[in-house]
Amino acid sequence: MPLVASVANAVTALLVIGCSSAGTTASLPATSGTANVASSTGGTVVTVYTGRHYGIEPVFEAFTAATGITVRFIAGKDPELRERLAIEGATSPADVIMTADAANIEQSAERGLLATIDSAVLKAAIPAELRSDDGDWFSLSKRARVIIASKDRVSDPPLTYGAIGDPRWKGRLCLRPSTHPYTQSLVASMIVAEGEARAQEIVSSWVANDPLYIDSDTDIYQAVAKGDCDVAIANTYYLGRLLKANADFPVRIVWPEPDGRGAHINVSTAAVTANAPNRAGAVALIEWLATGGQKQFADVNFEYPANPTVAPDPIVASFGEFNADLAAVRRLGANQPAAVELLSRAGYK
Amino acid sequence: MNTPAWRPPLRRLTTTAMVGVVAVAVATPVLVVIWSITDPSTDVWQELWRTRLPGMLRDTLTLLVAVLAGTLVVGTALAWLITAYRFPGRRLLGWLLVTPLAMPGYVLGFVWLDAWQEPLGARQVRSIWMCTVVLTLTLYPYVYLFALAAFREQSQRPVDVARSLGCGRTGAFWRVVLPMARPSVAGGAALVTMEVLTDVGTVRLFNVSTIADGVMRVWFGTGNREAAAELSVSMIGVAVVLIAAEHLLRGRARFTQGGTHNGLAAHRLHGGRALAAAVIGWSVFAVAVALPVTRLTAWASEARRTGQTVTVAGDLGFHLASSLRVAGLATVSCLLVGALFAFAVDRRRRGQVAVARLATLGYAVPGPVVAIGVLVTLGTLDRSGWLPDGWLLIGSLAGLTYALVVRFLAVTYQGIESSIGKVSPTVRDSARTLGASRARVATQIELPLAAAGLTAAAVLVAIDTLKELPITLLLRPFGTETLPVWVWQATSESLWVEAAVPSLAIVVVGMVLVGVLLWALEHGAETVS
Repeated sequence: MPLVASVANAVTALLVIGCSSAGTTASLPATSGTANVASSTGGTVVTVYTGRHYGIEPVFEAFTAATGITVRFIAGKDPELRERLAIEGATSPADVIMTADAANIEQSAERGLLATIDSAVLKAAIPAELRSDDGDWFSLSKRARVIIASKDRVSDPPLTYGAIGDPRWKGRLCLRPSTHPYTQSLVASMIVAEGEARAQEIVSSWVANDPLYIDSDTDIYQAVAKGDCDVAIANTYYLGRLLKANADFPVRIVWPEPDGRGAHINVSTAAVTANAPNRAGAVALIEWLATGGQKQFADVNFEYPANPTVAPDPIVASFGEFNADLAAVRRLGANQPAAVELLSRAGYK
Repeated sequence: MNTPAWRPPLRRLTTTAMVGVVAVAVATPVLVVIWSITDPSTDVWQELWRTRLPGMLRDTLTLLVAVLAGTLVVGTALAWLITAYRFPGRRLLGWLLVTPLAMPGYVLGFVWLDAWQEPLGARQVRSIWMCTVVLTLTLYPYVYLFALAAFREQSQRPVDVARSLGCGRTGAFWRVVLPMARPSVAGGAALVTMEVLTDVGTVRLFNVSTIADGVMRVWFGTGNREAAAELSVSMIGVAVVLIAAEHLLRGRARFTQGGTHNGLAAHRLHGGRALAAAVIGWSVFAVAVALPVTRLTAWASEARRTGQTVTVAGDLGFHLASSLRVAGLATVSCLLVGALFAFAVDRRRRGQVAVARLATLGYAVPGPVVAIGVLVTLGTLDRSGWLPDGWLLIGSLAGLTYALVVRFLAVTYQGIESSIGKVSPTVRDSARTLGASRARVATQIELPLAAAGLTAAAVLVAIDTLKELPITLLLRPFGTETLPVWVWQATSESLWVEAAVPSLAIVVVGMVLVGVLLWALEHGAETVS
C-alpha cells in the first residue's frame, strides 16, 4: 500500500526532523545563535523560565556582558511554567525560575521544585522578610499595590483598602478581575492582616460598590484619567511608565494604611530549580541580579529594589516615602487559595 | 485478480493497526485529562456550584447562542447575497468576506475595546454583547464558506420547481435552498461552536466568564488541576450534546444532487438595489477587517517611529519565520494524519470511526488544557529513558507539532473525510470491481477529486495554527518566538502600539492563506463539474 506506507514514512521523518532540530537550531532569544542546547550542561549557559517577561532581556544581556555566562529563557505564565517544570522533573533544562509574584514561587517551593541555596551574598543583599527561611527563593524587586485617585475630581481619597468599600465610591470604582494574581495576592494580604471574616466584609463592600472590572493596570490608570472611575487599586510601576510618557498624567498615588500595616507589597522573585543542570551558573545569575544588576532590574520596570542599599529610579522616588506591609510577603502563597474562594463567595467578577 | 487471496486481510490488519497506533497517540493527552475525573473533587464542585458555576453556565450558553445566531444569520445571508445576485464588485466582495478568518479574536478584541471605549464608555464596552459582536465578526466566515459551497453545488431545477408552484425568490430560498444547504451550514456552525467554547483570549478582554475561562481560574487560582480538568470535561460534554442534537434534528434526511449540475441562476440587481447589496456586503468587511486594519496600521507606523518594531528576540522576519515554521510543520502533520484517517478508516465499521473521532476530541478542549495533557504525556516519555540520550520531547519542535495535531486534527480530518465522502460510492465500487486496489482507488480517484477539500482543510488548519497562542506559549522550543507570542508579550502589558506590528503580520499572512483557500474552492468547483 504505497500511500499508507509513504504517509508513515513522512510522519516518521517529520518526527525525526522535529526532535533533532530541538538540539541544533535553538538560537537564543537574548543573544541569537551564540550557544546551543547540547552545550547547556556546561558552565556557560543558564536556562531561565520566567513569568516576569517585560523588560527582562536587557538585564540578561548585561549579565552576559559582566560574567560571560549566556542566558536563554522562555517567557510564559507563572502557573503554566510551574506545571512544565514539575512534569519535566529530572529532565528539565531549567536552572532558574522567576515569577512576577510571591504566591507562585511559594507554590513551587511547596511542590519541592526548588533547590535550597546557602549564599552569603544573597543573605546580605536581600532582607530576611523578602526571602524564604530555607533559602529556596529570593525577592529581586518590590511592587506596591496602592490606591490611585483622580487628581482633579477626588480631594479626600480613601486611605485604607477597606474604605474603598464606602458607599460614596459606588459606581466610581475600578478594580482588576479576580482572575489576576495581583488581586488574589492583595486579598491574601488582607486575610493575613485582618483575618478572613474582615477580609470577606471588605471585599463584599467593594462588590456592593458595583466596580468596573478592567483586566489591565495600565487601562485602569487610563480609566481614572478619562473619568470612567475616580478611585481604583493598581500597582505603582505602571504610573512610572505613564509619567515617563506624560509628566502631567492626572492620576495620583494614595499610600494605603499609613498608620496600619502599610501598602500591600508583592515581589518579583527568582529561585534555583531542584534539578538545575547548571546550578553554579544559576546562583551566579541570582546573586548578580540582587547586587550588580539590581538597579537595572528594578529600574527597567519602575519597581522598588529588594536590596535596600540600591536607590530606586528618580520617578519612583518621587512617589514619596511610605509604610510597606512586608510582614505578609512570605504568607501570600499559603493564603492564596483561601483568597480565591473568598473572592468567589463575594461575587467579585 | 492479480493479488493472492491471503493478502488483503493482512493489509487491512496493518492499516488498522497503524490507524490504531496513531489514533491512540493523538487521543492520549485528552484521555489523560478525562481520566482525572475518575476521582471527582466533590468539595470544589460544591463550592463552585454555590458561587461561580451558575454564572459561568449562563455566560457560556448566552455567548454560544448569540454567536451562533449571529454567525448563522450573517454567514448565510452574505453567502446568499453573493450566490443569488449579480451586482458591481460582487466577485471581489465574495473573496474579501472570507478575510475576517485571518483576524484573531484577541486582536479584533483589543482594537474594538480601544475604538469603542470613548463613545460607549469603559463600562459598556466590556460586555457579553460586545464580545458577541467581535466573535461573530471573526467566526462568521466558517458559516459563510460552508453555505457558499453548498449554494454553489445546488442546481437551479428545484428552485424552478418551487417557483412554478408559486414561491417567490425569497420563498424558494427559505423552503428549498436553505433546507438543502442545512447539513453544510451545520458543519460551519459546529466549527463556530468549538471556537466559542474553547476561546480563552477574547472572552477575558470583555469580562465574560465562560467555562473555558473558569478552567483557567480554578487551575491557576487554586492550583487545583484536577478540578480544572473536570470542568474541561464538562465542556467536552456540552460540545458532544450539541453535535448529537444537530444529528437528531437532521434525522435520517439525506441530500444528494441530481446528475446535471448547472448551479443556481443569479439575479442581476440594478440601481438602488444593487447599491444596497453592495453596501451590506462592504460594511461587514469594513467593520470586521478594513477599519481594524487601518487602526493597526496607524499603531504600527507609530511603533516604527518609536522603534518598537523589533523585540530583543529579533525583528519581524525572525518572528515571522518562527510562526511559519510552527504553522507549516503543524499543517503538514495534521494533513498527513487526517489523510491517513480519512482514507484508511472504513466508514462502515463503527469501531474504526469511533477511534478516529476520539482522536479529534482535542478540538473541543481549550488550548491550555491540551497543552497540559501533552506535557503529562511527553513528560512520561522524556523520563522513561526510552528516547535516545539527550533527546527531550518537551520543548522540542516535534513536541509542539504533536500538541498542535492533538488540538487541530479535527479540522483536517473532517475536511478531508467530507470531501472524499462526496465521491460517489458507485465510482469507488466500479473501480474496485475492475480490480483496482484500495490504495489505487485512494490515490487515483479519491485524492484528485478531494484535492480542493484537502487544500481547504490545509488552509483552515494553517490559519488556526498561525493564530494559536496558549499551546505555543507553553511548549515552544528556545528560540521559537511566534507572532502570537509577541502579541501576547505586548498586550499583557497593554502595549497596544507594540502589539500592532505582529498583529498586522498575522492578518496579512492569514489573508494570503485565505486567497489560497478561495483559489482551491474555485478550482475544486471546476474539477467537480
